[in-house]
Amino acid sequence: MSVTALHQVSPAPQGARLSIDKIGKVFTGPSGGSVKAIDGVTLNVEPGEFLAIVGPSGCGKSTLLQVIAGLMSPSSGAVRLGAQDVTGEPAHMVYLFQQYGKSLLPWMSVAENVMFSFRHRIVMTRSAARARCDEYLAMVGLLDFADHYPWQLSGGMQQRVAIARALAAEPKVLLMDEPFSSVDALTRLDLHALILDLWTAKRFTAVLVTHDVDEAIFLADRVAVLTHRPASISEVIDTNLPRPRLSIETRESPNFLALRHRLLAHLLARPGGAAHDAR
Amino acid sequence: MMRAKDRLIIVAAGCSLPAVFLLGLEFASRNGWVNPTFLPAPSAIFATFAQIILTGAFFAPLVHTLTLLFVGYSIGCIAAISLGVLMGYSRAIYNLFEPLTELIRPIPKPALLPALILFLGLGAPMEITIVALGSFFPVLINTVQGVRAVDPVMIDTARTFGHKSPAVWRRILLPASAPYVLAGMRISLGLALLLVVTSEMLSGNGGLGDAILSAQRSFLVKESYAWLIVLALVGLVLTAIFNWTEKRVAFWQAPQAQ
Repeated sequence: MSVTALHQVSPAPQGARLSIDKIGKVFTGPSGGSVKAIDGVTLNVEPGEFLAIVGPSGCGKSTLLQVIAGLMSPSSGAVRLGAQDVTGEPAHMVYLFQQYGKSLLPWMSVAENVMFSFRHRIVMTRSAARARCDEYLAMVGLLDFADHYPWQLSGGMQQRVAIARALAAEPKVLLMDEPFSSVDALTRLDLHALILDLWTAKRFTAVLVTHDVDEAIFLADRVAVLTHRPASISEVIDTNLPRPRLSIETRESPNFLALRHRLLAHLLARPGGAAHDAR
Repeated sequence: MMRAKDRLIIVAAGCSLPAVFLLGLEFASRNGWVNPTFLPAPSAIFATFAQIILTGAFFAPLVHTLTLLFVGYSIGCIAAISLGVLMGYSRAIYNLFEPLTELIRPIPKPALLPALILFLGLGAPMEITIVALGSFFPVLINTVQGVRAVDPVMIDTARTFGHKSPAVWRRILLPASAPYVLAGMRISLGLALLLVVTSEMLSGNGGLGDAILSAQRSFLVKESYAWLIVLALVGLVLTAIFNWTEKRVAFWQAPQAQ
């Protein structure tokens, strides 16, 4: 697929429904004390849906995403992809880390990093692997940097490599842990547009964890709001904003601003919310 | 960035110091300020050194030393990396081995030579063992630290793409801890050279250490110093090879630190 193909008619959503069923997570400290991080979170994500999860910092949203990804086991409840229980790292889910600088492996070139996501799963020739790698690098506009090393690229470029690598695994579900929070503001808008393009082209299910309300509304079909620790769902809001979303126009539309107002008011009003922290 | 001319001046100044030193020794020896029997003129030592090189006399002792060094150092490093990776990865294994390693580690390794000679005699087995023992600990400690310093995000990255444990070890833990391991191997290389020379002096059956000591005992003082030059060059070349290798194995470290 070439870059231009991104703008063609998108395929039907792939994959299966992601069910998060009464997930709870309790951490036991070394001294025997325990902290409840997640308290009974239930969410269903339809195939091809873009769901955002927002919550105050430290509320346990990253923990929730790691449990969904199978990187951490829940203390109670279960995660299912279609009819299958998620245990261990499921084959069709990929986790995109906030810390691209640590997630990209510095001893591998950009192309080797991308191939690291799928080469071990599929029997394929070197040239076929490279072709698939190049396809995804082209989508994020970094084909010319395939033989560079990650540390030779800017932060925004590194996160685009991480995105290309995650998608090259061709996951049914892409789990994103604040992937845009460590880049500058303009690069962030750029990456928002990119991820929407890729999502439209590939129709994977997307779950994004963020503390950025604007980002959540701009990208997602639905926004789930978490309470302060222990995290539970306090509200799920349909964004109902038309697609394709436009970097400037969508963010200025009355509906966007109304949603933003509602979500921010909701997040700031609660005791223990951001407003509370600021005092 | 320093200008080429400035660099040249610094290099020239750095090289002039050894030259002044050697010239000073030459004068001191020729004028009898030091006993020329104990410290022959550098020119005479260099003549002997040239003779050792040109007649090929250097070859057998050099091969002897390098073989012991290579075998002992390799055994020590491989054992240390293997155990170090396990100790860094698992708290239980660390707790199991830590008291033992901490008991042996602080002993200055030459102090173990008499015991080793009792068990292994005066030959290559004893020499290789002491080199391996000396090389072992710095690499072990650095490997443990290196494996512990691997960022969990890297390991989770491999897991999220479905890499199984052996691949995580080979493709994440080993390369990520390589800079630490190499730092330990650099310390061990110096120790290994020290121990191979010491044990050769004790064994007295070949090698550069034996050559230095035997020449001195036979009052062949010039020869003794000439062998010292050979040894110094060995150290220089080994360090250069090590630097070259390190730069290629951990090539991502230096540019990243900038």
